Amino acid sequence: MLRFALTQTVSVTITMAVVLSLVFVAMRALPGDAAAILGGLDTEQAQVEAIRRDLGLDRPLLAQYGAYWGQLLRGDLGSSIRERRPVTSVIMDRLPVTLSLAAFAFTLSLAVGIGLGMLAGRTRGSATDGTTLAFTTVGLALPEFWLGFLLILLFAVQLGAFPVIGYPVEGDIGVRLWHLTLPAVTLAIPRAAQIARLTRARVLEAMAAEYVRTARSKGVAPRGVTRHVAANALPGLLPLLALELGGLITGTIVVEQVFGLPGLGLTLLGSIGARDYPVVQGVTILAVTVYIGVNWLADLLQLVSDPRLRFE
Amino acid sequence: MNRARIGTLLATLIVASALVGPLLVPHDPIRPNYLVRYAAPSAEHWLGTDGLGRDVLARSLAGGRVSLAITLGATALAVLLGLATGLAAAGLRGLTDVVLTRGFDALLAFPGFLLVLLLVTILGGGVWQTVLALGVAGSPLFFRLVRAYTRSELRRDYVLAGTALGASRARLLFRHALPNFLGALAVQAASTAATFLLVEASLSFLGLGVPLPTPSWGNVLQDARSYLTRQPWAAMGPGLVLATAALSLQFLSDGFRDRLDRASR
Repeated sequence: MLRFALTQTVSVTITMAVVLSLVFVAMRALPGDAAAILGGLDTEQAQVEAIRRDLGLDRPLLAQYGAYWGQLLRGDLGSSIRERRPVTSVIMDRLPVTLSLAAFAFTLSLAVGIGLGMLAGRTRGSATDGTTLAFTTVGLALPEFWLGFLLILLFAVQLGAFPVIGYPVEGDIGVRLWHLTLPAVTLAIPRAAQIARLTRARVLEAMAAEYVRTARSKGVAPRGVTRHVAANALPGLLPLLALELGGLITGTIVVEQVFGLPGLGLTLLGSIGARDYPVVQGVTILAVTVYIGVNWLADLLQLVSDPRLRFE
Repeated sequence: MNRARIGTLLATLIVASALVGPLLVPHDPIRPNYLVRYAAPSAEHWLGTDGLGRDVLARSLAGGRVSLAITLGATALAVLLGLATGLAAAGLRGLTDVVLTRGFDALLAFPGFLLVLLLVTILGGGVWQTVLALGVAGSPLFFRLVRAYTRSELRRDYVLAGTALGASRARLLFRHALPNFLGALAVQAASTAATFLLVEASLSFLGLGVPLPTPSWGNVLQDARSYLTRQPWAAMGPGLVLATAALSLQFLSDGFRDRLDRASR
């Protein structure tokens, strides 16, 4: 098992190196001249050249690539052109909003997704199962931003129960959660649908196993059967859960835009619009690191929670 | 009625409305008409008009053409890229296989929406650019699928028999192995198309996909966002059609899978 975990980790490190190199290439492929953008309008050619030298953009590509890795390993993501301060501090300012939203949405989708999936799988063919199937089918087909519109119209405009858009700069946790509720529900519905669908399939697989028949024939109560089924079905969900959780750090982009939440997503969009490429690069690096990291953790967790995998 | 039938029916309705609809609505989807801004639904404008006085129904129908064409093009591109590279990796093995597999793994290591977003930013917004970005971002999935299926098919006895009879490598790949998993590809392609439809709408909603004034379901809904509380109906029509289109593709995918499962039994 240790050996497997080690190979896994080496493989992840290689992937990470390839991906970060891809990010370097992608950032150089973005349209526009960083030095000219930094200089602004009405800048003399000589000044632009000076800025280019300062940024190190006049050096050979390979030297820039080396410098890029040097910076990365020191945890330095460069400076924002628009805000004239380190990218790390820009990210740190916006990260809490996105992280709270992602955590809120993920908790909701886990609770609803696994709950519904287990229920539907245990009561195959029932009305509950049918309703769950309808929910998962529709939930997956709804465009996130449009779902946001519907929730805004119903709960914010008609009922006045939640704010339409915005997020308080200050305020206690209750107020913040109140502002995050509709965005989190918007994000959670398609993800819960996805999780419920897979949970149901895994539960059905587990229910068909012979140990379930044995347990039933010796008179184990339904609750006990559910426990056995869950222990066998749930570790198989980890890869999907990791994809969903890791994707949320940028998966919030659309919803942040709909609800006007000042998180990483809005920062990324604004930076793309303003050609503030150091910030685009910083957010991208953070997003892929989290995504790869979470998936790697899920692989290890699956190994720990499913002993059968250790012998494969 | 089974899912495949419902899916086919809905998809046909939506494609037909996108093809024929714009011919039946007597309003220009692009030219502004400032005399009738923000009109409520009426016999003249079924879904009302937007902030530039353009008929929302006309824009939704014309937008459907653009959104559906992008989805179709991007799905075809993703499948073709996946087929070409997947068959090459499984057929040639060796270094080709290692390089292709590592490369696509690196693409898969990006959160999907972020990858599309970066590609569209690099390529610049537009219909063709969106098709290219979606197609490239979607190709790793098809690469993996095609590579895995081809490898398992190539291990079968009929391939050995074919080789013994002197069939060429290309003939074995294209004439014998490929037809055996086209069904599985169709299942994935329909499901991917549903995702692409929603992603394209999100991109255009963010102003990064189809540039204005060309309508697409995403940017028609972006317009509707700005006067959502005043005219909710402008967001309802196109949104419902978009969701129905995605649903029909998902149904088609499920229907294909059911048919495959029955056939293999």
